[in-house]
Amino acid sequence: MKNMKIRAALIISVPIIIFGLSLIAGPRMINPFAADDISREILFSIRAPRGVVALLMGMALGASGAVLQGILKNPLADPYILGISSGASLAAVLGIMLGAAFLGSFTIPVLAFSGALITGAMVGIMGWKRGGLWPERLLLAGVGLSFFFSALLMLVMSISSDEGLRKAMLWIFGDLSMSEWSKIPYGLAFVLPGILISLFRAKALNALILGDEFAHSLGFSPHRERFILFVAVGLLTAASVSLGGMIGFIGLLVPHIIRSIIGSDSRLLVPFSALGGGGLLCIADLISRSVLAPTELPAGIVTAIIGSPYFLYLLRRKNVLSI
Amino acid sequence: MLILFTFHLSLFTAYAVEPPQRIISLAPATTEMLFALGLGDRIVGVTNFCDYPEEAKKKPKVGGMSNPSLEAVVSLKPDIVVMSVDGNPKEFEERLRSMKIKTYVFYSKRISELPKGIRDMGLALGVKEKAEVMAADMEHRINKLRENKKTSLKKKVLFIIWPEPLIVAGPGSITDDALQILGADNIAARTASNYPKYSIEEVIRRSPDIIFIGKGQNSMNEVSEGLLRRLKSTPAARNNKVFYVSDYLYRLGPRTLKGVEELAGYLRR
Repeated sequence: MKNMKIRAALIISVPIIIFGLSLIAGPRMINPFAADDISREILFSIRAPRGVVALLMGMALGASGAVLQGILKNPLADPYILGISSGASLAAVLGIMLGAAFLGSFTIPVLAFSGALITGAMVGIMGWKRGGLWPERLLLAGVGLSFFFSALLMLVMSISSDEGLRKAMLWIFGDLSMSEWSKIPYGLAFVLPGILISLFRAKALNALILGDEFAHSLGFSPHRERFILFVAVGLLTAASVSLGGMIGFIGLLVPHIIRSIIGSDSRLLVPFSALGGGGLLCIADLISRSVLAPTELPAGIVTAIIGSPYFLYLLRRKNVLSI
Repeated sequence: MLILFTFHLSLFTAYAVEPPQRIISLAPATTEMLFALGLGDRIVGVTNFCDYPEEAKKKPKVGGMSNPSLEAVVSLKPDIVVMSVDGNPKEFEERLRSMKIKTYVFYSKRISELPKGIRDMGLALGVKEKAEVMAADMEHRINKLRENKKTSLKKKVLFIIWPEPLIVAGPGSITDDALQILGADNIAARTASNYPKYSIEEVIRRSPDIIFIGKGQNSMNEVSEGLLRRLKSTPAARNNKVFYVSDYLYRLGPRTLKGVEELAGYLRR
């Protein structure tokens, strides 16, 4: 148990340290105690909101991945498997290609969020049968819709000009450079409830993982719990996609990494996956804006490059990889 | 190599003897050039992106620039297919040649190479005199623009292609080339690619004196709002030196120099 406390302390402190680091490091180092006007402005209005958005987005992805792997009882599930991100991307890319700007710099995030919610609702409707959501149906509906929206996305991209294509690609690969303080309250308004719902229903999630009958015998209504958790996942995914596009890897692999450190009790897994996801995205973004500065790389590429080897290493070391 | 070269030369002379009547253009820039050389009537096919001049839009389409339809090209029975080294795939040219379809590749990539490219093209398409007039005019204008160097020297400039995410004109782009001719200092001149996604904090730190925003098809005012708000501390924003400019510099063709002259006008202010 003492060992556990050390591990927990580690998972909590690492993202905080990373966030601090992401403020002072970057294309150039900034000493916060001896900063001139320009450096101060960069620190407070460029790096700080960007770090916060990275944390928020990573937390949303990590937590929703952990919840989704539980309700779908599938170690391969991630927030993007339900097609929510494809729907969001399609809406956002259409907006980018058509040069939509009816809400100023909020246009694309709002389009992405609407696309995500509509797709989420569609998956929910298709996954619904006999008074509840069924894991296999959800998964298959998600995969089906995902293919459909991806195909439409490819269609739009293949008939667009090179210039439009590049803008769309940069958005799809994840872009945190437009993070502003003004966007954070909106992100928070969806991420926070999503994570709180997941936390409060973590016990039910544990029961669901063990099977519907078991959950029933513990006094949980499997259909109701699954629905509530599905809504939470939808909110989290939609919020994260609209904050900064698609960032792969985190939702799928961070829960697995956290599970290997702290075990698979959802009451711990969900919050720590959130922290782990936030920390990982924060450092990935720091790397993506620093290595080739002043050129920025898409953060989604960096998360996968630094995360995948570690995940594969874990896979070799562990005997079983379960949910 | 020598054999190949002479082979090319003999091809050119062959064109000069018998000017091609059915021309397909596979790039917006070459389409503009063909129209400017008075060959508009002979164009039988263009890409989906050839939108200038207005008549170009009415021509039959053969697909995109990087993915034109071979079938559409062949079925239009062209005497020659005009391509650009910048944007058309080399494989497509090889494919056409293997089918015994003549091609002409416009190879200029920089503004200074433009007059020579036009002369070459005029030779290949049998409009030597017209091309000579156009090329000479361009040379004259380029030389005149170079004289601007003194007035715009040392002014730090950023040319924004798209504000969110921030994509700017980097080294190798026609815009960067234009800024070099004008003697201005492109703050994104040393980056990894020609249209890099650029760091906002580096823009603030490098404090551009002038910011250009390329307009493209749509007005960029609304899309740029958020970005400009974040760049408000730069000298360009403080001194009202943010200018929305035309998209002439996005293509290397007859309108390119108009684009350079437009920038020169703003730099002189």
